[in-house]
Amino acid sequence: MADPGFSSTKRDPIKSSVGNAAGIRRREHAVTVGKERRESLVRAKRLCRVGISDVEVDVESDMMIDEEQSILESQTSLAVQNLKSALAYQGKGAMQKRVGALQKLRRLLSRSEFPPVESAVKAGAVAILAQCLSFGSPDEQLLEAAWCLTNIAAGNPEETKALLPALPLLIAHLGEKSSSPVAEQCAWALGNVAGDDEELRNVLLIQGALIPLARMMLPYRRSTVRTAAWALSNLIKGPNPKAANELICVDGVLDAIVRHLTKADDESATEVAWVVVYLSALSNIATSMLVKSDVLQLLVNRLATSNSLQLMIPVLRSLGNLIAGDSHATYTVLSPGLAVTDNAIQVMIKCLKSEQRVLKKEAAWVLSNIAAGSVEHKQLIYSSEAVPLLLHLLSAAPFDIRKEVAYILGNLCVAPTKGDEKSSLILEHLVSLVEKGCLPGFIDLVRSADIEAARLGLQFIELVLRGMPNGKGPKLVEQEDGIEAMERFQFHENEDLRTMANSLVDKYFGEDYGLDEL
Amino acid sequence: MEFTQALLNAQSIDGTVRKHAEESLLHFQEQNLPGFLVSLSVELASEDKPVDSRKLAGLILKNALDAKDENRKHELAQRWLSLDSAAKAQVKACLLQTLSSLVLEARSTATQVVAKIAGIELPQKQWPELIGSLLSNIHQVPAHVKQATLETLGYLCEDVSHEVVDKDQVDKILTAVVLGMNSSERNNDVRLAATRALYNALGFAQANFSNDMEREYIMRVVCETTMSPEVKIRQAAFECLVSIAAMYYAKLSPYIQEIYNITTKIVRADQEPVALQAIEFWSTICDEEIDILENNEGDIPCFYFIKQNLPALIPLLLETLLKQEEDQDLDEGAWNIAMAGGTCLGLVASTTGDDIVPLVMPFIEENITKPDWRRREAATYAFGSILEGPSPEKLVPLINHALPFMLSALEKDPNNHVRDTTAWTLGRMFEFLHSSIVGTPIINEGNAQQIITVLLQSMKDVPNVAEKACGALYSLAKGYEDVGLTSPITPFFQEIVQALLTVTHREDAMESRLRTSAYEALNEVVRCSTDETAPLVLQLVAVIMMELHKCLEAQNLSSDEREKQSELIGLLCGSLQVIIQKLGSSEPTKYVFLQYADQIMGLFIRVFACRNATAHEESMLAIGALAYAIGPDFAKYLPEFYQFLEADLQNFEEYQVCAVTVGVVSDICRALEDKILPYCDGIMTQLLKNLSSGNLHHSVKPPLFSCIGDIALAIGDNFNKYLTYAMKTLQNAAEVSAHTSGLDSEMEEYINSLRNGILEAYSGIFQGFKNSSKTEFLIPYAPHILQFLDSIYMEKDKDAVVTKTAIRVLGDLTDTLGSNVGSLIQQNSSCTEFLNNCLISDDHMIKESAEWVKSALNRAISV
Repeated sequence: MADPGFSSTKRDPIKSSVGNAAGIRRREHAVTVGKERRESLVRAKRLCRVGISDVEVDVESDMMIDEEQSILESQTSLAVQNLKSALAYQGKGAMQKRVGALQKLRRLLSRSEFPPVESAVKAGAVAILAQCLSFGSPDEQLLEAAWCLTNIAAGNPEETKALLPALPLLIAHLGEKSSSPVAEQCAWALGNVAGDDEELRNVLLIQGALIPLARMMLPYRRSTVRTAAWALSNLIKGPNPKAANELICVDGVLDAIVRHLTKADDESATEVAWVVVYLSALSNIATSMLVKSDVLQLLVNRLATSNSLQLMIPVLRSLGNLIAGDSHATYTVLSPGLAVTDNAIQVMIKCLKSEQRVLKKEAAWVLSNIAAGSVEHKQLIYSSEAVPLLLHLLSAAPFDIRKEVAYILGNLCVAPTKGDEKSSLILEHLVSLVEKGCLPGFIDLVRSADIEAARLGLQFIELVLRGMPNGKGPKLVEQEDGIEAMERFQFHENEDLRTMANSLVDKYFGEDYGLDEL
Repeated sequence: MEFTQALLNAQSIDGTVRKHAEESLLHFQEQNLPGFLVSLSVELASEDKPVDSRKLAGLILKNALDAKDENRKHELAQRWLSLDSAAKAQVKACLLQTLSSLVLEARSTATQVVAKIAGIELPQKQWPELIGSLLSNIHQVPAHVKQATLETLGYLCEDVSHEVVDKDQVDKILTAVVLGMNSSERNNDVRLAATRALYNALGFAQANFSNDMEREYIMRVVCETTMSPEVKIRQAAFECLVSIAAMYYAKLSPYIQEIYNITTKIVRADQEPVALQAIEFWSTICDEEIDILENNEGDIPCFYFIKQNLPALIPLLLETLLKQEEDQDLDEGAWNIAMAGGTCLGLVASTTGDDIVPLVMPFIEENITKPDWRRREAATYAFGSILEGPSPEKLVPLINHALPFMLSALEKDPNNHVRDTTAWTLGRMFEFLHSSIVGTPIINEGNAQQIITVLLQSMKDVPNVAEKACGALYSLAKGYEDVGLTSPITPFFQEIVQALLTVTHREDAMESRLRTSAYEALNEVVRCSTDETAPLVLQLVAVIMMELHKCLEAQNLSSDEREKQSELIGLLCGSLQVIIQKLGSSEPTKYVFLQYADQIMGLFIRVFACRNATAHEESMLAIGALAYAIGPDFAKYLPEFYQFLEADLQNFEEYQVCAVTVGVVSDICRALEDKILPYCDGIMTQLLKNLSSGNLHHSVKPPLFSCIGDIALAIGDNFNKYLTYAMKTLQNAAEVSAHTSGLDSEMEEYINSLRNGILEAYSGIFQGFKNSSKTEFLIPYAPHILQFLDSIYMEKDKDAVVTKTAIRVLGDLTDTLGSNVGSLIQQNSSCTEFLNNCLISDDHMIKESAEWVKSALNRAISV
């Protein structure tokens, strides 16, 4: 008899050929890629709003009054209690119960503009949540617990400190054996902790948060890189440079920075750039390693191609730190004649033109460092489109930008010095800048209460007095009320400035001044 | 022509006679369907007619009631139900009468036809007396009638959903079946039929398995039946046990010890078909426990049957490993006790983790150096099988210790079978314990060179060993997919690629799927390569293109050669797909690669001249990747490419080709955006045609709908001209997919993917029209769409993905139509309820979407 329907089903053998499965995987991958692209395309369209003002009409939250806040607080204490009993419960469905309780708490903690963090902490949430992070717990539970802790860590500094008992476990889950959502959520929580308190940063460093966070930055996974870099930038903020020194020495970190700055999307690159900001601000070792890699070039490229303010700020600041921190940057990497140097100046011009005050200021700072370089550097800037922009800024920009601009223009007029020699002039630059009307800007600085700015102004006046051909200097200074500005220092408390101003007045506007005109 | 003669002629070896007979039967059927069916049943029931005509009559009858294709099946069922009831009654009476026939073939055919009619009628509450009258047969004396009746009950349980049979009748069926299995039943045919019937009836027995007494009884009889002297009965009884393990895991506790005792005996001493089922029982228990432990759902606790029986189970399974067949590695379909034992061992390792290691290691250590190849192979196989499950802490030290030995075995063991398993085991080490997962990397700069040298050396071994070495290389490369600038295998990239290309040219590369595995390994090596080797990947483009070119040039091939050639073309297109994705993912390499674009596209287009489904699919996939890499400039290829695109969209026969092509249309839309416009008339016509066809495989429909959305997104309000047709098609499909109650899980999954496709189409259309002056054309469709969303919301067990897509459509509708629909939505209580529910969802994707929808709605109302 035939056996219809009774051919026993055969299991796939454990030992099988790779070819079939791999082909199927490739196809599935193509479908997944298509889905992701559709999703991101539609998402972009959804987020694009035109015509209607962005004011959220959220009646509910406007009506959030004190009474509701107190309800929220009591709900929170209750949620913590529930979580405690869910944790004690071992019977059927224990897992769901626990996750349910965690979700409830997490939602309360993310609800209003004033999350009830304090009531959660008072109710003992941190210890319970730490318990939820114990090893071998299912991912869902870990994720929810870490999420709750993230929200608590975002509270005020006292509340953040309450997190201390949970820190070792949060760090433990950063490891490679954790799933990436769990590791990311833990990194996020730790980033919040590290954010605003040096003491807590030190605790985290002692407990070994640095290395696992650094490792999270190595792979390509976008969200992991972004979160880890963000947390790291908080962690290495200093002021002690030890963490920054350690970070740059972790195997693969420098490579990862280079790679992400080359390839990553704007958001991830932003966080990575913040890491570079602190590395370059705090660590000489890091600065010199970064300068020797391709980072300068990459930062310049990023500035050239991006218009995201979020990204441009840290990129620009990194550039400035590197250039200011290591002379190798200016003299070898950004040496005149290389394309990268031209590009660097072009992007600075782009930033000077920007509407954003921070960008202007940071760009001016970067340029002032380049302008402190060789004569060729100075010529390069001098002959660029930057000069008219700078002159305009010197007369019209807010004070802090004017000061940075003054550094640049001042630097353009003097050649590099050796030892204690008096700075020698680049006459062509000085004459042309003065003719284009920069003197009043400098004299204005002399009048400011800021000692640095005043010194800059005085130094420039000195150049004009000393250098302008045919002794035209004193005249020009007088015309712009420079004498009056300098005389303010006659009894100034700062001895340096006082001496400098007085000797200038004595030397150029002494008793003989004006005699030859008579 | 006389009816019996026509049926006999229809089986004639003479083609003309046969054709004539078939035509006359068809003619009869078309002229008078009820009469035709009655004649068939009468023929089947007539004891004086020849066996052959009776059998064919039964078969034609069966085919008039059932088909594989779901649509066709539904049509046939409707046709039967609409027939004259007198005719139906006559057919059924004849069939029941045939169950008592002395002719086995007639009986056996009738059992299946009865079950088919039951499958159609019982859900309609028709033929209520059927089960009763079958059960009354059971008590009749002749064994052959009993046997036929039990067989019918078995098929009936297979074809009918248990929901449409009363509990009372289920009890009676089970009682009859279990009685038939009982050892007091002395007729083996009856016992076999009963045991097989139970296999199908188990799905009906939920309630009975919850009742201690009834369960005890069923289990006792099943266990007893596993000891029947008849091998087929023992096998059927074990199939029941396997099925019980899957369906009623939670109820097994009291029986597990006894089952263990039975399986031990069977595995050691019984014939292979039975022994395989005995092993399958334990594999199924593993499946269940892995599922419970992984999903952690809590409604069924894990009883740790495997863990408890581990000390006894492991030696049993290890024994099976020594029962290899010579040359089993050369036969892809081979399945024997050693393979089943190893597979089960692997599942046990996944279930129990570390506990298995100390129990298996002594066996490995004792046997791996034995002179008998069976012992060496079994030891290696055991090692390979337990590499997934136990912790890296446990395994890595063992692997570090074993790796040099394994490498040397792969190089030097005289036995082909041992080398095959050794290469596979190396592959498993790399797959599960690759360096990036654990602290001490098993592959490091110290041994990378040796590993690769040995693997590449094995590329020259016999095809089955070389194939496994390709697999090992695949896993080795895959482990480095996330690594940064350089990996330990980076320095060997060129050498590996060269060796793999050489393998693909081997004379015997067609054996053991060697060529396929070599190309897939190459693909993985490329996919996971680092920036450092990007220039080498660029060089590879030209090499693979050249290969493809040569293939396409080959002429005067025999049909066998042609088929092999087509397979190769598919593989080469697959490699190019991976290379394009790789090089396209970073700007500098993409730029260089694009200089090949014209030539490469030219080759892909030539692939369409070969009539092979896989080649078409692979070429399409590669073109999709190319379009993405090129972006809007891809438009220049469309004038030439379009005809092939359209042709493959019409390939209903090989529906996978059609499905892949639909995906490529979507890819191209995303790449070209509005430059696709000139081709949209043709594409849309074809898509809508496909959607309305009953002949296209149903699995293609969801992506077809999504594709319509992609077109709308690409061309914006230019979609207006298709709006009426598209919306009508969407509306029809939405109505069909609105009801899922009473579907099996596979069908339910399909309906959900269909809904998703429809919703994605709506999203695409609405977002495409956003901010256009033509949005007013969409307003008339809003009420229907809201109704569709409503039907999804009303669903009891909502699918999370569908819910997410659905809530987003609500947002898209609002986002695009603004104040035109704001009040419509607000007044729709079910919509607002849906939204509120989503706002408090546990799924953060749903919640996030809902929040966006809410803000869109607030804007719409506030304007």
